Amino acid sequence: MRARLLTVAALVALVASATLASGATARTHADPLTIYAAASLTEVFKALDGAQRYSFAGSNALETQIRNGAPADVFASAAPLNAERLFKAGIVDKPVTFTANRLALIVPKSNPAGITSIYDLRSKPVKLVVAAPAVPVGGYTVTVLRKMGLSSVLSKVVSRESDVKAVMGKVALGQADAGFVYVTDARPVSDQVSVIRIPAWAQPRVRYEIAVVSKSPNKAAAQAWVRMVLSAKGQTALKNAGFLPLPKASS
Amino acid sequence: MPPGELVSALHSDVAKDALVVTFETNLIALALILLLGTPTAYWAATRRSRLRDLVVTLIELPLVLPPAVAGIGLLAAFGRLGLLGGTLDALGIDVAFNKVAVVLAVTFVASPFYVRTAVSAFEALDPTLPAAARTLGAGPGGVFFRVALPLAAGGLGAGAALAFARGLGEFGATIMFAGSLQGVTQTLSLAIYEQFDLDFDVALAISAVLVATSAATLLSVKLVTRWRSTSSSPIPSVASSPLSS
Repeated sequence: MRARLLTVAALVALVASATLASGATARTHADPLTIYAAASLTEVFKALDGAQRYSFAGSNALETQIRNGAPADVFASAAPLNAERLFKAGIVDKPVTFTANRLALIVPKSNPAGITSIYDLRSKPVKLVVAAPAVPVGGYTVTVLRKMGLSSVLSKVVSRESDVKAVMGKVALGQADAGFVYVTDARPVSDQVSVIRIPAWAQPRVRYEIAVVSKSPNKAAAQAWVRMVLSAKGQTALKNAGFLPLPKASS
Repeated sequence: MPPGELVSALHSDVAKDALVVTFETNLIALALILLLGTPTAYWAATRRSRLRDLVVTLIELPLVLPPAVAGIGLLAAFGRLGLLGGTLDALGIDVAFNKVAVVLAVTFVASPFYVRTAVSAFEALDPTLPAAARTLGAGPGGVFFRVALPLAAGGLGAGAALAFARGLGEFGATIMFAGSLQGVTQTLSLAIYEQFDLDFDVALAISAVLVATSAATLLSVKLVTRWRSTSSSPIPSVASSPLSS
């Protein structure tokens, strides 16, 4: 009891000092856009343009928030479905595909369950963490397992998380034995997790779509920002972060 | 939304499973809080020392900490790679992603509500009564069980109800520490969070259940408190006797 509480007390001090240190960041841009983006875009979007305001979460959560009037200017979704539904409801302009991704299985560096292949998930006792089915990466995970004839593995799921970063965190912390994420999520934490590749034939079609919110008060700036993501600059940043080029040649 | 639809939304498996998980884990957590919190509160109420102030501060800390910090703290302490993770593992206790994790999270965030109230209840006792019991030959255990505990029962009950009400709605520490899986660790709050994106009606129905349960719990505290204050007890006459003078 006391050890636990002392740990918490130490953490409070740590967090407090970290917050004070980072609070002084000045905003250079006069009027930043509010960009709602899939959690898997966290690192690449921040690196691409640090001057905007971001809200990263599961695309399904962002879709619900925008549908309920969240003040977003741009919506970048990890699955076409979420963007297309908002487009059909007249809430966002026509979405365009801007990048693609692949899935990977990750295990903690210590690899407590001794997973070296995806098929180990079937034979070994494992605490598997996935995203909820409504979250894009959760849906893609189900597809991968079905294609590999491993759907029974879903019975070993111990938690369905709200976005891909939550899956990442549970595995990186060693709390879970394995989890399905995008290959791009494993890169920033490659010192904490090992990546087990998923064969190309089992990969789902992971396409990201981006759209300007129709009622955005900064529409011109939002459209320019979407063009920037589609431009060579944006595409290079995505490629460097491990995202795949567009399935077809983009103009 | 008409009440009929609200009720039918509650018949979804998600809502039913969440209801079972929530009450199961919260009742166990409440039992733990009562068992560990009551002696601790009694100890704190009968001591005046720096150690006592330190312990009470630590116990009160979860009251003001954000749930996210509670989640991190629980992971750092009881996570598989946490401070006590290895010890628990050696003892064969698994706290990753199961009901034990939910119980720990609820106990952690809800216990101060009980202990805080219990300390006040024990402190409010007339100190002459335990003294009188001792002169009549009662040991420390007798004083605690036959004098202090019955006299403080009202305050303890109110504290337990508050802790229970807080525990029912526990969210942040649970989702970070225990994860979310229907029928295992998905409590009502976590189910609301998941259903919010999927089926707003189910989310609304579960929310209504939580509002009703919490309101009923808080109301019962008031009723019990009123009943105790109006029901006459023989205590005042005993307290006024010149035993300790």
